[in-house]
Amino acid sequence: MSGEESFSRRLMIAATMLLFKSHRRPGVRGWELKHRLGKNYMRVIDALNSKLKQLGLEIKTVFEEGEENNLDRARFYVVLSHPLTMSDLVAAGWRIDEVAALSITLSILSSRGGKVPLRDVLEVLKTKFPKWKAESYLERAIKRGYIERLEDDVLTIGWRTKVEVEQKALLKAVLEAREEKEIRSD
Amino acid sequence: MKKLVVAREELERIIKLCENIERRGLDPFTVNVRELLERLRRMVEENPDLDHYVIDAETLYRISALIALQHKWLREKAKALFIDAQMISTRLVAMDKKALVKAFLKAWHPIISLEQMTPQRLRQGLEHFLSLPPRGGGREFGWKITDKEIELIKAKLELEEKAMMEKVKALHHELLRRFEERGEPLDYWEFIKGESFDETFERAYLLSFLITEGYVDVKRNPLKNELKLIPHREQVKRKSPTSLVISLRGEAG
Repeated sequence: MSGEESFSRRLMIAATMLLFKSHRRPGVRGWELKHRLGKNYMRVIDALNSKLKQLGLEIKTVFEEGEENNLDRARFYVVLSHPLTMSDLVAAGWRIDEVAALSITLSILSSRGGKVPLRDVLEVLKTKFPKWKAESYLERAIKRGYIERLEDDVLTIGWRTKVEVEQKALLKAVLEAREEKEIRSD
Repeated sequence: MKKLVVAREELERIIKLCENIERRGLDPFTVNVRELLERLRRMVEENPDLDHYVIDAETLYRISALIALQHKWLREKAKALFIDAQMISTRLVAMDKKALVKAFLKAWHPIISLEQMTPQRLRQGLEHFLSLPPRGGGREFGWKITDKEIELIKAKLELEEKAMMEKVKALHHELLRRFEERGEPLDYWEFIKGESFDETFERAYLLSFLITEGYVDVKRNPLKNELKLIPHREQVKRKSPTSLVISLRGEAG
């Protein structure tokens, strides 16, 4: 097998590993990639990333807390590189109410250091939804991995938010959304 | 004596306060750390006995954790551009649902991932399929699985399961034999080590079943970074089982 052939084969292996879920959670650890693709697995990942970018996807690396330089322990995911539109969201089966509740919850968590008592989140959610609905949206967000519930009813940011949501961008968007509204009302 | 009890109660109060802030994610800067440390020093000087030193050390540890939390809090605040949480809450209340969703979409990059079939999933699917009640008048659309095909699939899956159970059993016997020969708990890494990484991985995988089922106990010593295996001939019921994550690195084996 020539060098080029072997490289394109490794690209295919990397794509399969990253796109197919083989654990309970999606994503692949760096050491798993190293085991299958060899020591220079980051070269394969970079090449695959540039191919995926042409399709509107990209590879995201999420480091373990406190191990920001350890690629072997990091998790690699394929995520959408461009933002979805409202109609994409509805077509994908999401409910507007549910995403609005998620947006509120994650904004509160991000602005308060990542840990908030459940009652504080519910207080804001109850201004938009009936209590039972707010609670069921929170349960769903927990099940999907966007938030975690700790003991004493404290909410914290879940693994999926760390992968999928740019928290800084979310807070900025929340602030800007208000400004847009103000400009329109002027 | 009374003074000692009062000092102890005060230290316990400080510990509780620090724990509460950490657990509930409250603002760690609401506590004056300097004042706490001064109080702690005063109490240590007034009560120079061993009992007091122990609880004093625990308090000092909690205060250190609080300082670490303050550091983390500042870092998170900086990441969030020092945006005031109260301001965000007020804006969230004022925004309508569509605006909230639009803001979220600007920051959301969902994971792309596909489910794939595994023998276990296939078995679950087959079991679900077989448990479905027959439709009146037979199926009109789609293909039909004949009884013979179902029997074949079932037999194949049963065979795979049987082979797996035999491997687990063999590993259990090996563990018991080596434990009896040594007369002491066996090292986890030494036991699972095979000739190749694949074999090591398989042994670790099979061993996890024995551990889950209660045929093997794992003793962990975090100070020495040791994991010891204690096998049992019969299944042992556990009062409070806990999970233990062990990661295998590719270069091992």
